[in-house]
Amino acid sequence: MARYAIVMDTRRCIGCHSCTVACKVHNELPTEMVYNPVVSDGPHGTFPNLSMRFLPLICMHCENSPCVDACPTGASIQREDGIVYVEDKKCVGCLSCVMACPYGARYMNHETGAVNKCNLCMDRVDQGLVPHCVATCHQKARIFGDLDDPTSEVNRLINENNGVQLLGELGTEPHIYYIG
Amino acid sequence: MSAKHQTWGWMLAVDFFFAGMGGAMLVIAGLADLFVGRDSVSLLGSVVGPLAMCVGCGFLILELGRPLQAWRVFMNPKAILTFGAWMMTFAIIFGFIFASFAIDFSLFFWRDSALLRHLVAILMVVTGLIVATYPGVLLARHKGRPFWVGPGIMGLFLLSSLVTAFAAHYLCGLIVAPRNVPYLWEAMPYVLGALLFAQGLLWCGYLWIKLSGTSKSEAASAKRWISGDQSQQFKLAFLFFGTVAPLILTLIPLTMAAAMAAVLALFGGVTMRLLTVNSGNDRTMIPGEAIYRSRLPKGHEKFLGKAWL
Repeated sequence: MARYAIVMDTRRCIGCHSCTVACKVHNELPTEMVYNPVVSDGPHGTFPNLSMRFLPLICMHCENSPCVDACPTGASIQREDGIVYVEDKKCVGCLSCVMACPYGARYMNHETGAVNKCNLCMDRVDQGLVPHCVATCHQKARIFGDLDDPTSEVNRLINENNGVQLLGELGTEPHIYYIG
Repeated sequence: MSAKHQTWGWMLAVDFFFAGMGGAMLVIAGLADLFVGRDSVSLLGSVVGPLAMCVGCGFLILELGRPLQAWRVFMNPKAILTFGAWMMTFAIIFGFIFASFAIDFSLFFWRDSALLRHLVAILMVVTGLIVATYPGVLLARHKGRPFWVGPGIMGLFLLSSLVTAFAAHYLCGLIVAPRNVPYLWEAMPYVLGALLFAQGLLWCGYLWIKLSGTSKSEAASAKRWISGDQSQQFKLAFLFFGTVAPLILTLIPLTMAAAMAAVLALFGGVTMRLLTVNSGNDRTMIPGEAIYRSRLPKGHEKFLGKAWL
């Protein structure tokens, strides 16, 4: 069984927000919901030695996902391949998962009364395609692949560049790695 | 949902208040029955306990995005909210059964069975204690919410539940006096005073620890209570009117003063939960995230409408 992950190469990300737009368009998200924010960290240092980086964020599809454990209805589900998604009809909108997620990756949809989140475009992934945010990134800053495949590009990038996980100290074991 | 919020709102805080108070009222009623004697707390107090939890459930249901599907919260045994929902249901049932022992009604044929009453009292104490404690446990497990995380909030919630339960039992005893052991009811203001003292002390300690000993995000969230946007409500509404003033009133040996103390203690309990739940807006942010989110539209702003026209 595959274990899907995304590597975010912050050396390549230029903060163009193409991933944000692609995701919003394809998922038809309301204005206040952004599954793929790209935040900027910096500038750091003093002139002329300044540096700035962009951090593309997304649901971390954690191995130990606190949102799935917190959901009282069983609407938040983790597939065997690691993808965490919400089964809309089971969700009662209690916001337990929203509060439990340390990454702010879940949003209340006030039109439906349910919680929505990135599902890593699992319908596309099941067809052998990559998520929209990955497909649209013209800088190839997002690399999608299988962690269980030792020959995959994501494994190579993580091992060669000491990939890190955001808020790793919380023990959530995110499937999104950052290099740069 | 009244507003487009992405965190828990005031109705959950009110649910925590009623559930905590009701659960602790069952604990007090059950322990009093087991160790002091039958009918040593007011019948009204025995009824108000489970009734308060029912009211709390009502607020919890209203807080949901889909209130009509509230039954689904019983479905995931791994979730602490599901555990709490089941425990609250059992506590309500045991609470009403226990109250029935004190009602002179011929259909309640079980009311003379001391063994059954004791058994129900034990079950009521256990489930009531869980209900009084679990909101604190629920909040303490949120790793990304710096003000809540850690075991301290659990103790504060349990303590506040006991404070509000003693206050509610005392007020109920004023309306319907306990049939037996009146000294227990008369001693309640003194117990309330001691608990209020502990509450004031522990809250100051909790904020000091959050401010000084842990992460930056925890310190920032504690600052909101000390000098930020929540400081007025914390100092004036909770600390002064909800803790110090009732503590002083409990020292005055007058029924009216004790009753006022009880009312103020209940006010303090609600205020504390509103402030604590509101602190859930603070999340440990990733560098740059706070600025990004502050720039996002909060809804369908006017400029968006103009842009599409």
